[in-house]
This record gives sequence, structure tokens and C-alpha cells, in this order.
Amino acid sequence: MANRTSAAQRPNGSTQGKICQFKLVLLGESAVGKSSLVLRFVKGQFHEYQESTIGAAFLTQTVCLDDTTVKFEIWDTAGQERYHSLAPMYYRGAQAAIVVYDITNQDTFGRAKTWVKELQRQASPNIVIALAGNKQDLANKRMVEYEEAQAHADENGLLFMETSAKTAMNVNDIFLAIAKKLPKNEQTTGPGGSGQGRRLVEGDSGAKTAGNCCK
Amino acid sequence: MTASLLKNPELQFGATTFFAKEHKGETCGSNGLPLTPNSIIIYGKAQKLKMLKHPNLCTYLDIIRGKHERTVIVSQYCGEPLSSYLGKERFSYDDIKKIAYKIFLALHYMHMKKIVHRSLSTENILVQENNNIKLFNYGLFYMTDNGKLVSFPIVQLSYAAPEVYLDGPNGSLSNPKVDVWSAGIILAELVLNKPLWQSLKVGQRIRKVLSLVQGNTSIFERIAREHNCYDIYLSVPSDLKQIIEVCLTIMPCDRPTVQIILKNEVFAQFKTAKESNRRKIYEPFEQFTIEELYHWWQLAGGDVLLELKKQGLIRSSPPILSLPQMVLIDGLILGQERNPATLYDSRIIQMPLEALYQRFEHISLNCYYPLIHVKSEILSNGNDSSYDAEQLPLVIREKDPEYQFHRVILLRRLLHGYPHTRDLIITESIKDIPPLLRGKIWAALLNVRGDYQEEYIKIDKETPTPTDRQIEVDIPRCHQYNELLSSSEGHRKLKRVLKAWIYKNSQYVYWQGLDSLTAPFLFLNFNDEAKAFACLSKFIPKYLHNFFLRDNSAVIHEYLAKFSQLIAFQDPVLANHLENINFIPELFAIPWFLTMFSHVFPLHKIFHLWDRLLLGDSSFPLHVGLSILTQLRDTLLASGFNECILLFSDLPEVDMEQCVNFSLETYSTTPKSITARTQQSEKCVYVTTMGIPAQDLNKEKFPRISVDDVVNLIRNDSERIIIIDIRNPTQYARSSAKGSINIPCSSITFGEVNIENVGMHSSLLKNNKDKIVVIIGTEETNLDLFPTFLIHCNIPKVCVLHGGFNSLLPVTPTILITQNQI
Ligand SMILES: Nc1nc2c(ncn2[C@@H]2O[C@H](COP(=O)(O)OP(=O)(O)OP(=O)(O)O)[C@@H](O)[C@H]2O)c(=O)[nH]1
Ligand SMILES: [Mg+2]
Repeated sequence: MANRTSAAQRPNGSTQGKICQFKLVLLGESAVGKSSLVLRFVKGQFHEYQESTIGAAFLTQTVCLDDTTVKFEIWDTAGQERYHSLAPMYYRGAQAAIVVYDITNQDTFGRAKTWVKELQRQASPNIVIALAGNKQDLANKRMVEYEEAQAHADENGLLFMETSAKTAMNVNDIFLAIAKKLPKNEQTTGPGGSGQGRRLVEGDSGAKTAGNCCK
Repeated sequence: MTASLLKNPELQFGATTFFAKEHKGETCGSNGLPLTPNSIIIYGKAQKLKMLKHPNLCTYLDIIRGKHERTVIVSQYCGEPLSSYLGKERFSYDDIKKIAYKIFLALHYMHMKKIVHRSLSTENILVQENNNIKLFNYGLFYMTDNGKLVSFPIVQLSYAAPEVYLDGPNGSLSNPKVDVWSAGIILAELVLNKPLWQSLKVGQRIRKVLSLVQGNTSIFERIAREHNCYDIYLSVPSDLKQIIEVCLTIMPCDRPTVQIILKNEVFAQFKTAKESNRRKIYEPFEQFTIEELYHWWQLAGGDVLLELKKQGLIRSSPPILSLPQMVLIDGLILGQERNPATLYDSRIIQMPLEALYQRFEHISLNCYYPLIHVKSEILSNGNDSSYDAEQLPLVIREKDPEYQFHRVILLRRLLHGYPHTRDLIITESIKDIPPLLRGKIWAALLNVRGDYQEEYIKIDKETPTPTDRQIEVDIPRCHQYNELLSSSEGHRKLKRVLKAWIYKNSQYVYWQGLDSLTAPFLFLNFNDEAKAFACLSKFIPKYLHNFFLRDNSAVIHEYLAKFSQLIAFQDPVLANHLENINFIPELFAIPWFLTMFSHVFPLHKIFHLWDRLLLGDSSFPLHVGLSILTQLRDTLLASGFNECILLFSDLPEVDMEQCVNFSLETYSTTPKSITARTQQSEKCVYVTTMGIPAQDLNKEKFPRISVDDVVNLIRNDSERIIIIDIRNPTQYARSSAKGSINIPCSSITFGEVNIENVGMHSSLLKNNKDKIVVIIGTEETNLDLFPTFLIHCNIPKVCVLHGGFNSLLPVTPTILITQNQI
């Protein structure tokens, strides 16, 4: 249940370096800017009228870190509390999570703390969690103090940055920081096939799909 | 001959244009979102004006946004401005009274709708050939939020009431009594037969109006004397004089309202004429409306912006000319000439209708009034109105003026007869739905009836609730590429409709996505929120029964399970591939079904999709889902999990007409029970789970089919099915369904996925393409091994008889036989 490392793929003929694949999930209250952060990171764009997310969306992006290529498989989840019951399906088996709040809204910070707790209890024990205070460009309307969030991050061993999907501030940085912190020396490697789907469904209690064929 | 129907002098329209104020400096609002352009706000507000229908008002037809905050208003425009009559032959006092009466009628209607004219003048009162009068351009003040959204003042110099000037140059005084004053001035002009203060310059005119405030003699008298018309003043009948005088009351609080003025004795004579009654008699013979004419005109190539350019109202100048010469460090701009285009341009351009007249010239008269309930052969033969376009693609039909002419005329007539004509509306909608009438037709298809407006008014849409935050953050993300939905008015309306729905349906809650679902209805009924709400209220129980429960997991799981089963039924190859890569519908299809695709497609595609959806039942969306997968089938089959899921995160272009046609095909060939759900609102005999827990049914890879459907197929369509009885040979010999074959389950080794394992019947199954393979077993034994095996062998159309063999026993007349008989 971990990242897959392989030297087999060689983009652009480069033979060096290993490729690591990580599953990362974004969590946080609705409209804090999760989809916007992903869009900025993956496509370098910002849409003022970013559509709300229903269920979840999936995107991938690759970053280079020294001699390692890190491929993120990103699950961007729906923020509305009601979709909560779907969340475990996405964060189970994730090696990294970004919990996002909106610095102009105190409630979203409260919600972020709850997410952190839930991840610490229910997600993989080694999960790397980053806290992102988004919409830093609106700092003049700030309702959550930087220090307050930093303190919370320190207490819980989280990475922390204030970001802005709009101006791109700290967006790549936070993903890079996560990439650095993730273990890249291999323990287990799922042989063959994309591990992705399998992990997802395993997490999903097996009840829904494992069904009839094995009876 | 026919063209004369089109060449109605009242059915003419024209356009005016102006610029909305640009936002200076700040581009973001307090929520960090960009400020809504003022032209969009105007666009949203002006929609309401299209709803105003009054014989003394020109009908608003369209609002178009041009470049750089330009707004173009298209409106009925017919007759000559009253100003052009002044100074010529004097109107008789009776005529003046009649004109006064009509102006007041129009103003009264507007004021009732909370719309203040504020720029009434003889320029924008049009006199028709039949001496009727119509006000034109009366909504400018309203649509610009009392003038706040434009940089020019909305005021007619000589006609503005003193309090308008006292309010200051940026004032937005919106007391309806300002219109009463203007009417008074106009009547004075008519009586004196000359425009007032014509020789004066702007500043002097304003001073003139303000000077009237001083002194306490009759203002009308002072005006008459000033214009050397005291003799005329003396000759004016006292009742008319009195009206003019009360209109020109200085203090707005003492000036009567239009409503009170209309009660005046002078107008009593006109009221008996009962215009309204006469109109009622005419209505059934209405051939078409000006809105329809405008629609056809556009389809026939009419282009308002182009006409304005031709006439020089829209001129583009190189941007460099608008640069300032100097900008000081503190932001002060010097040497920038005011762009003359930002001033108000009062010119009106009449739109040329010749091209349309010619295009429609050959259309015979009876096409304007097609017979709907034709029984007589002779009549229907004589009525060769058919315009052959039905074979053309939908998008072309929608743009064909002549085809739309026939469709609009026919469907409008049918809508007049709704609800009695509902069946005919359905029949016609199967062909296509004319875009101009889509909102009304959808409401008819959804069976919206009764006093939906009354019901909507009663609902509390204002009290704050905890859901508001979610609604508020979702609305600015919902179909915002659309001008209507991104306007402030659009936001307000969407919020109200959503709140109303939640209030009315306390058993349900707001799930993100409900906003997208509501958007198409609001867009189509922008001026009738109540109808948008009524449509939504009918739509959800029909297609999304229980989807908005606080805990909707049971519904969603069943829905997605049915979806998987449908894929396996229709396309086992794809189903097996998706299963192998663990690409389950939970990961991509929730937004599809929860919003009936309104979250994943832009509005114009949703329209074509829902045009069809509304004619189907709640299983239709499953077929749409299948159809989308089918369009992407090759890519999906060639891809692994990541590629597949990426494909859906950013859905590629889907050909909607093809998608709809394919959905229709599978929809009509799939027995109803295959997609039946326990959680649907429609009644379905099959729906009893027969004691099998719903979760277990959901886990099955294959769908179940009901006894009724099987019996039906055996009796009427035995060519379409293969019945496989998997019970043991003894049971089979004793009694079995007609035409069934026996493949005892126990005789097969399921170890390897190879259809040959089935034995002698394998080729029958292998070559099967279209036949439905019904498996009959008993619920007690292991029912799912064999059908699952068949699906893994890529055999299409595999399903299981729900309830097993025993459910065939009570069928009469029996379809069972004993093998010994043969
Ligand atoms: N000013 C500013 N606005 C932002 C920023 N990030 C996102 N937004 C805006 O905030 C709104 C919500 O952003 P989304 O990315 O849709 O939020 P989300 O967290 O994905 O929301 P859900 O999908 O509902 O869970 C959008 O209108 C964005 O344009 C930012 O960094 N600065
Ligand atoms: Mg999102």
C-alpha cells in the first residue's frame, strides 16, 4: 500500500533517477479553493468562476526533485459537509493530504482542524499532511492569523504555508515541500498494474464491488 | 397577400445603444471575485422589461451586450414621435384628452410594476397610424438601476420635475411622481402646440424649470404667458386645464399619483369603451407575436449590431486615441478626452424587415393558422404547410427560419390549449422543441399546472438558514459563462428558487449540485421565477426521487449499481474492462446523475439533452450515461485507471445529438425492468425485491428482468430472446418455459472464462448480438455464477429472471410446457 518506484520509465530518454508515484488528497470546507489550488498546480491556471466539485475530481502532475521524479495522483474532493461520507474512499491509502482553509473565514479553519484530526485517526499512519491557508491575496480581509495556524501546524507536525491560487503564491512550493517530505526509498512495491484503483477499492470496504465473482 | 400579415405597421422594431459605466480602479469585490461588469447587471435587470405587455407601451424584445460594456436595446418601434406633430396642425382638445388618458394608462401600468420612466418626453411617445400611442424607451432608468450604472444623466431637460434637478447631477430619485410632472409638461406642449423653452440652452432650461418653484400662481398659466399663449390658456376646457395643473404641482407630496389622476372625470368617457374586452375577442386570431417576428428575423440573418454599425451608431476607434496624455503619480489622469460614445446617444435605428418579408413571401395564409385537430382528409390535403426539414440535423433545424416559423406557430397554438393539448405537445416535442418556446414546453411536459405563482409567493425565500453559506458560495460558480446567470439579478433569483425548494421540501436538504440542476429552468424562465420553481419541483421527484435526502447513500448506490448492470447488459466488453481496472461509477458518475448532467455540460447541451430526457422516464439518464461511455469507448478500452479517470475529470467534447440518439436506441430496446429501481417514484411491478436485500441485488453484475417483461417477450417477440433454464434436467423436463433451452448449472466448469465450457449451446450464445439472454433458475440455488460467467465471456444482453422459475407458475394462460409432451 505505498508508492511505486521504478526506473523502467525513462521520459526523454533520461535513464537516471527513479520515479515515485504518490496519492495525494485535498480536503477542506467548500469554496476554500481546493480545486483552484489543483488547477494552478497542474495547469498553471486560475478560473475566477471555478465550478464547485461534486463527488471528487482526479488530476495528475509530475514534479522533479533532484534526481527523483515525483508523480502526484491528486484527488480533489467536494467540500460540502454532506459529501463527507465519500471522503474515506479518497483519503484511504493516500500518502499525502493538503488540508485547505480560507484565511478570510474562521469557520473554514475550524473545519480544517477537524479534518486533520480525522486524518490522524483514520488515514495511513505515515501520511504527510500539509495545512494550506489559501486566498493569501485577500490578506487585508484576514480572519485567521498566520501565527495561530502556524502554532496549530507545529503542534500536529504539519507542513504549513499560506497560499494563493489566484497569484500562484506558494502553490508549487507546498506540493514540493510535500514531495520532499515523502519517503522515496522503497519498502513495498505493488507488482504490475496501476496501484491506484486497487487501493481505492480496497479502502472502500470491499462490500460494494468485490461482489459476486468471488463467492 | 401573405406578406401583408407580416407587414403589420405595429410589428416593427428598432434599437438604441449606450455604454454602461466602467468600473474604475478596483476590479475585485470584497469576496475576491471580480466585480460583475455593469453591462451584465443591466442585462439581468432589463430582462423584466420584456415582460411588460401593454397596448400603450412598445414591447422590449432583446438586450444585447457588445464590446466594452456596450448595451444595445431592441424594442418594438412603430409610428412617429409626438414631438414631430408639435407646431403643425393643432390636436383637438378631445384628442389631447385621449392622448393624456393613454399616457396615464401606460404610466399606471409601469408604476404598478415598480418601474419609473424618469425620461418621459414627446420624443419617446410614438403616435401610430391608427392614432394609438405607445411609449418607447421607458425602461432606461429602471434597467440602469436608477441611472447608477451609466455615466450619463437620465433626464429630459424640459420635462424633468424640479425635484429631479434638486437631487443633484448624480441623483437617482425614483419617485414615480416625477413622471406625472413630465406628463403635465407634455400636455401643456400639446395644448400650446409648441415645444417649451426651445430657444434656451441647457443651463437656462434647467434654471427655467427651477424658477417655477418660486411663486405660487398656476404654473401652467405662467408657462402659457411666457410662451405668448395666454389666449390659448384661457380657451382650454376646465377639466383638461385642471389635469395639467395638478400634474404641475411643485411639491411632489401634493402632486397626485397616476392612479388618482386616472380617476378624474375627464377620462370617464374613455373607460366605457372597454378596450380590454375587445382585445379578448381578437386574441384567438393572433397570427404571431412581435417576439416571434424578431426571432425569425434573426434566424433569417437579421443582425442588430451590424445594422447599428452600418448606420454609424457603433464606431470603433483605435484604442490609442483613448489613452490619457499624462498620469500623475497619485493616479490623477490628465488630457484624456471624454469618449463621446459614453454620452447618451438618443438615435434609434429601425431594423429593416424586407429580407424577412421576401423570405416568407411564399408561405401560404393557412400556415399562419394551422389546423390542429384535422380529421378530414380533404382539409389536411389542402393544407400542405409541411416544410420538409425533419431529416436535417437538429442544430440546422433550429436555425432555419422557415422551419422555426412553422414549429413556433404550431406549438404556440398547442400551448394555448394546454393542458388539454398535452398529448399533442408531447407528440410534437418528439420531433424537436423550438428554442423560442422551450421554457413553456418544458413546463407542459413536466405537467406544471394550477396556480404555481400563488404557491411560490407563499413560500418563505428570505429567512436566513444555515444552508445559505453553501448556496452563496455555489451560485458564483454555477454556469457563470452565461450572461443571465452571472448577472446580479440571476444570482438573486437562483438563490430564491433554491431556498424556496429547500423550504418546501423539508424532507430534503441542499446538496451541492442542486444549483446546477436549477440553472436551466431559471435560464428559460428568467422572468417567471415561480415557473422555474414549479418545473424544478416536478423534475426532482420524477428523475431524482430521494437523491436529496440527508442520507442518500442507498439511492445513489442503487442507481450506480443499475448503471453498472446496464453497462454489463449492453456492452460486456467495456464492463469487463472497467471492472478489471477498478473504474467504478462511484468515482465519476455521481455528478452526472445527481445533477442530470447539468454539472458537466454547458447549457446549450443540457437543453438538447433534457429536451429528450423530459420525454422519458427516470431510467433514461442511465442510458445517457451509457451513451457517453460509448462515445468514449475506444479511449476507455485502451486506457488504464488513471487515463480513464482523467478523461472524466475534464470531460471531452460529447456530440449531443449523437449521444441523445444512442440513448434513445438503448432506452427503447431495453425492457423496463432491467433498469427498474426500488427507489424510483414511478410504479413498477418488478420493484418488489422478493425478500432479497437491496444490497445483494446491487452487488450483482447482471440486471434482473421481471416476469412480465419475459412473458411479454415470449408471447410477442420470441425472436428477441434466448431463454436458458439452468435448473437440473429433471426439473426442466417436468416443466419449463416455452422455447427455453436447458443448460444445467452443475454441468459447467466456471474455472476458466471460456464460452465453450457451456457445451453444445455455446455457439448460439457466442453469435448472439441482439437477443436478450434470460437466465431462469431458482432463487434458492446459486443464481449468479452462470450469468456472471456469461458476462465475463463478453456475452451481451444477459439478465436473470427475477423470482426464478417459480414466478412463471402463476402466469395464465400458461407459458409452461412439459418436455414429455413434445
Ligand atoms: N481571491 C482568491 N480567490 C480564490 C483563491 N482560490 C480560490 N478562489 C476563489 O474561491 C472560490 C472557490 O474556489 P474553489 O477552488 O472552487 O473551491 P473548492 O474548495 O474547490 O470548493 P468545493 O469544490 O465546493 O469544495 C472560487 O470562486 C475561486 O475563484 C485565491 O487564492 N484567492
Ligand atoms: Mg472544488
